[in-house]
Amino acid sequence: MKRSFIMAWRNIWRNKRRTLITTASIFFALFFAIIMRAFQLGTYDHMINQAIESFTGYIQIQNKEFFYDPAIDNSFEYTDDLISSVNKIDNIKIAVPRVESFALASTGIQSKGVLVTGIDTEREKNLSDPENRIVKYKFTPEIVESILNEIDLPEKQIELLKANENNSYSSLPKISLDLSLDKKLEKKLFPIIKEKASFESNFLSKKDNGVLVSDRLARYLKADVGDTLVLIGAGYHGVSAANVFPIRGVVKIISPELDNKLVYMTLENAQEFFSLGNRVTSLNINLDDTDDMLRTQNELKQRIQGDHFAVKNWEEFNPTLKQQIEGDSVGGVIFIGILYFIVLFGIIGTVLMMIAERKRELGVMVAIGMSKIRLSFVLVIEMLFLGLIGTLGGLIASAPFVVFGHKNPWKMTGEMAKMYEDMGFDPVMPLAWFDAYFFWQGAIIMIMVLFACYIPLRRVRRMQVITALRA
Amino acid sequence: MKVIDINNLTKIYNGSEVMVKAVNNISLSFEQGEFAAIVGPSGSGKTTLLNMIGGLDKPTEGEILVGGTNIGGLSASKLIDFRLKNIGFVFQAYNLIPVLTAKENVEFIMELQGKSRLERDERSIALLSAVGLGERVNARPAKLSGGQQQRVAVARALASKPKFVLADEPTANLDSKSTETLLDIMEELNKKENITFIFSTHDQRVVNKARRVITVEDGCVVSDEKRN
Repeated sequence: MKRSFIMAWRNIWRNKRRTLITTASIFFALFFAIIMRAFQLGTYDHMINQAIESFTGYIQIQNKEFFYDPAIDNSFEYTDDLISSVNKIDNIKIAVPRVESFALASTGIQSKGVLVTGIDTEREKNLSDPENRIVKYKFTPEIVESILNEIDLPEKQIELLKANENNSYSSLPKISLDLSLDKKLEKKLFPIIKEKASFESNFLSKKDNGVLVSDRLARYLKADVGDTLVLIGAGYHGVSAANVFPIRGVVKIISPELDNKLVYMTLENAQEFFSLGNRVTSLNINLDDTDDMLRTQNELKQRIQGDHFAVKNWEEFNPTLKQQIEGDSVGGVIFIGILYFIVLFGIIGTVLMMIAERKRELGVMVAIGMSKIRLSFVLVIEMLFLGLIGTLGGLIASAPFVVFGHKNPWKMTGEMAKMYEDMGFDPVMPLAWFDAYFFWQGAIIMIMVLFACYIPLRRVRRMQVITALRA
Repeated sequence: MKVIDINNLTKIYNGSEVMVKAVNNISLSFEQGEFAAIVGPSGSGKTTLLNMIGGLDKPTEGEILVGGTNIGGLSASKLIDFRLKNIGFVFQAYNLIPVLTAKENVEFIMELQGKSRLERDERSIALLSAVGLGERVNARPAKLSGGQQQRVAVARALASKPKFVLADEPTANLDSKSTETLLDIMEELNKKENITFIFSTHDQRVVNKARRVITVEDGCVVSDEKRN
């Protein structure tokens, strides 16, 4: 057995150049496939995180009619029985009640249709977490200019600062990331940012009668903290909903689509505004294990669905995102498939050459008494060695890129960024963290190598010793 | 004691247009310890005969009994096993396994036979020393001269303790000195270990050493001369 491995290992290095070319083709195919797939899956995760995990939740309990007609009339009673039934299911991380409806918002200067979202300020921390998204720093053109006048920054940071003009931030670490600051620059720049770019903005208190306005919406409405926002809409059963609300703070929502239209208020405030009593429009649920979403959904259906409720997963209430991801994913898979297909032919070419140039040698081995099974075994090990060198190389080389790309997402610029923003997503592309996709790429290569092994196995099985010896 | 018994052996090759009778109704037998040469001009059928004796080629008619076993009736896999246990081969082009050292090449056969590591080690060194390569055991074939490679091939052929060794033109690629050395080694091993050697050759130096010379022409044995 050991001798078979030794022979196989030495055999692959008989023609170093060919081995290096073959393993390099596997290496690069795997490397690019992993990076490409990591970009794709990372972007999908980011999209899901923005749209689902950080806003809608993976599962929503709604009034049965709300799914087809999302009107405030199709809300439901938020009862203790319901809460208790939901809390009995183990995979549920958090269930957050919300009132969501549209209204017309105005500050006197500008008006816009907005999504009014009534939230339980405590529980919402586990979903969209607006408290953590309160804008604390703003880079207006004047502030950027003032900072640049105050301090000498390296060229790169000047460019990045200008590129982030008009951006708002909820924390200094995020600024550091966007401006690519090291510790030394942070120490130099942060006091100036605190002095010049700080923005007074607050979260809602439990019984607050004020609202939070999303950053882009605030800019559109030319609204600031302390201003009054007028909201006009339709309440429960056609009751007119109109009121004025003081703006307590501005929140930076990652999803540009939501950042353009979101107004937060407390759940009680929203219920009062829409004359809902104890009703809510949805119970938004995040899960401990998102892979177990369908089982959890079914369990919820069994427990509470009845005649009044509908339990929907995010793929049902956001089919566009699902289709967008699936469509894009299929494109990526096809591209990777083509890449692997080309590599497969490279591997088959190598195998054919290896067999053709060693026909006589293989014949001699069988002539002197080596069984065809053992000879086949040696050839399969040779192929596996070739595959493993390329595969392990590809996996090892791509790993640091995956780590770096995951921790430092690539920020898109120009048209591409605009396209992502138009679709309602933050224009960043993080790489997905190590998951099944990473190892599957390696497994696919090894499966291809095993598939290519059929050729030498067939040749050996059919080999006529006397013909091989004459080769 | 008879090692090989050949009865009415015929081999016909069916070409696309012509039918060639490479071996024509040959009957022969070989005793234990013979040092025999099958000679004849190119195309006379000597290599075909040797290949059939070695179980590498199937006869069209007739039978070959090795130690009483009709090798023509063995399945392909049983034939491989039979060759491993009973026959040693020395080829014209040496045909050593290029990725193995001289010692590993010799050990390889014994490993296929399932011999212990200790036995493999001792016998391979003994055989390589016997063929005068005790100092080159760790050299790969590419680092050995043609004569040295053929001596390793002889050691490999003997490693499995075969009933007989078939050598197809073993000296064809060697110079005079190497040929002489190789023949002396094989003759000595033949005498010392009583192993049967059968050569196919048209090298007069081999013929001169042989104690039995079988001349083949047009697939038929035309003379079978035994010498002392």
